[in-house]
Amino acid sequence: MKTLVIGLGNPILGDDGVGWRVAEEVAKSTANRPEVEVDCYSLGGLSLMERLTGCERAILIDSIFTGTKPVGTVSRFPLNELPDVVAGHTTAAHDTSLRNALNVGRSMDIPLPRDEDVSVVAVEAENVYDFSETLSPPVEAAVPLAVQAVLELLDAQPAASRSDNRS
Amino acid sequence: MTQRITIDPITRLEGHGKIEIFLNDEGDVANTYFQIPELRGFERFCVGRPVEELPLLTNRICGVCPEAHHMAGAKASDAVYHVDPPPTAKMLRELLYMAFYCTDHTTHFYALAGPDFVMGPDAPIAERNILGVIHKVGLEIGGKVIQMRKYGHEVVEMIGGRKVHPCTSIPGGLTKGITEDQRKEILKMGKWAVEFGQFSLKLFGDIVLGNKAYVDLILGDIYTHKTYYMGMVDENNHINFYDGKVRVVGPDGKELVKYAPNEYMNHIAEHVEPWTYLKFPYLKAVGWKGFVDGPDSGVYCATPLSRLNAADGMATPLAQAEYEKFYKTLGGKPVHQRLATHWARLIELLYAAEHWVELASDPEVAGPNFHTIPTEKPTEGVGIVEAPRGTLTHHYWTDERGVVTKVNLVVGTTNNYAPITMSIQKAAASLIKKGTVVTEPILNMVEMAFRAYDPCFGCATHSLPGQMPLEVTIRDAKGNPINVLKQFCE
Repeated sequence: MKTLVIGLGNPILGDDGVGWRVAEEVAKSTANRPEVEVDCYSLGGLSLMERLTGCERAILIDSIFTGTKPVGTVSRFPLNELPDVVAGHTTAAHDTSLRNALNVGRSMDIPLPRDEDVSVVAVEAENVYDFSETLSPPVEAAVPLAVQAVLELLDAQPAASRSDNRS
Repeated sequence: MTQRITIDPITRLEGHGKIEIFLNDEGDVANTYFQIPELRGFERFCVGRPVEELPLLTNRICGVCPEAHHMAGAKASDAVYHVDPPPTAKMLRELLYMAFYCTDHTTHFYALAGPDFVMGPDAPIAERNILGVIHKVGLEIGGKVIQMRKYGHEVVEMIGGRKVHPCTSIPGGLTKGITEDQRKEILKMGKWAVEFGQFSLKLFGDIVLGNKAYVDLILGDIYTHKTYYMGMVDENNHINFYDGKVRVVGPDGKELVKYAPNEYMNHIAEHVEPWTYLKFPYLKAVGWKGFVDGPDSGVYCATPLSRLNAADGMATPLAQAEYEKFYKTLGGKPVHQRLATHWARLIELLYAAEHWVELASDPEVAGPNFHTIPTEKPTEGVGIVEAPRGTLTHHYWTDERGVVTKVNLVVGTTNNYAPITMSIQKAAASLIKKGTVVTEPILNMVEMAFRAYDPCFGCATHSLPGQMPLEVTIRDAKGNPINVLKQFCE
């Protein structure tokens, strides 16, 4: 199954760059796996949907700011566990949510992965407002754990067969 | 008892903002504050780097308009090295920029303005988004929007080396040119973009101008402010996004000043308020008089509407015809109704597409001379372009080796911080009166006041969860929440 791994974020905005760092490590580990493509990207919404065109499965790596978990905590969850607040005033000032964008794309018959085939690996961030190419120490320490999480997801069965085991 | 209503955050994906609405004892709006956190330390980040890195670094400030920062950075770097890029280089940069404009204005209209006007400001919240728009007006339109974005990205990649974050502009020109085959391909896409621009204006005419309620909303007082207007113009005072002089006209439409990029500090000053980190630029010649309209207030606006007001016309024929229709329909120049910015944006989209075709039609754009090697000693330089959301100024200082010693940026939206604040205040005061039950549609209509400006604050961060729910908290004087409205879609 062709899988696209995308590190999201801004590489010069402190912990927001963790997605890129993890993706770069994943790329080294998967260099001999032709079914895995790794990329770094800085956009969400419609642009990210466009980037996902043609892939069957995607793993997104990003910083997350819940404010409730210790900095550096690595989480993984399917895309549809993120709140999808798509209505005009609640969404981004220039775009729409990825889930809404995926729905837009599917209604245009653009080949896109199903929501359940898009996974997120997120690292709890601390500093996403100060320009820096350096990750804060707990986020830096989490990079190998996030890489491991991505590699485990790559080795896991696709969502369709997993769902067979669900009640 | 004072009440406080908080709209927080407006968005997370492209910058976290918060609107606070304070009510007085009578339940009317006493004041509003529009706050956004500033991304910090950019100047410190740049100092000590070679100046030619700045067009690459500055395009990472913003997740929405990196192309604009790349262009302003490239022009400022040219100025630092006192080098004039050859005609082919200027054409290539401008061609890339036109394609970017088409993509950016398309996204704003269909994803953001569209839901308010196609679905209606009070449409069910779950439908008020681009998917709702497409379902209402037809899948075919969704396909066109995606196609327009695709073509725009392709041109940016061909000339800029990468989609979205171009990397080819350097002091004196570009690192690469395009082939004759690429020129023909770009031309073909441009012709499609012109048709798309015309189609979008027709759609606006049918859906918005054809609906009396929307016309009344646009022309009404809620969204009207009489301020100064800024925009870059060519030698004929026609709008130019890439190069020219910055022209400012007054609330009466008369020219106040027209200045070259390197004179900007003589004309623009910044006001500081204690409740926000961001500064409020204003016109030095007029002075800061507070958040007020009129010829005595130095507040200015830099938006698509401002650019139309500050210019004498458009440089391309189809856009010029639409420009004339715009002012004829809305009662002459200048137009002060902020919601008309959405219409102005589509006229600019058509201009960008027409100019795209003009540039791609000239074989010189595919010529081999796309770089002039700088030979002068670097010092300092200013580069100004019109970003989709306002005049964008980059000012760099370097030592004799071209290593950056100081940076000053006035980004598009910053110009509009004062008028956005005023627009939110007026909309809130007009819509929330004593006894008003603050509903989601009312809050959306307050947000429409700032959405017209297409604001972009500290928009580089992408941390999840991306978009957070709107939370409206009404508090008593002690800060205790007495009512909380959470605006979840599902």
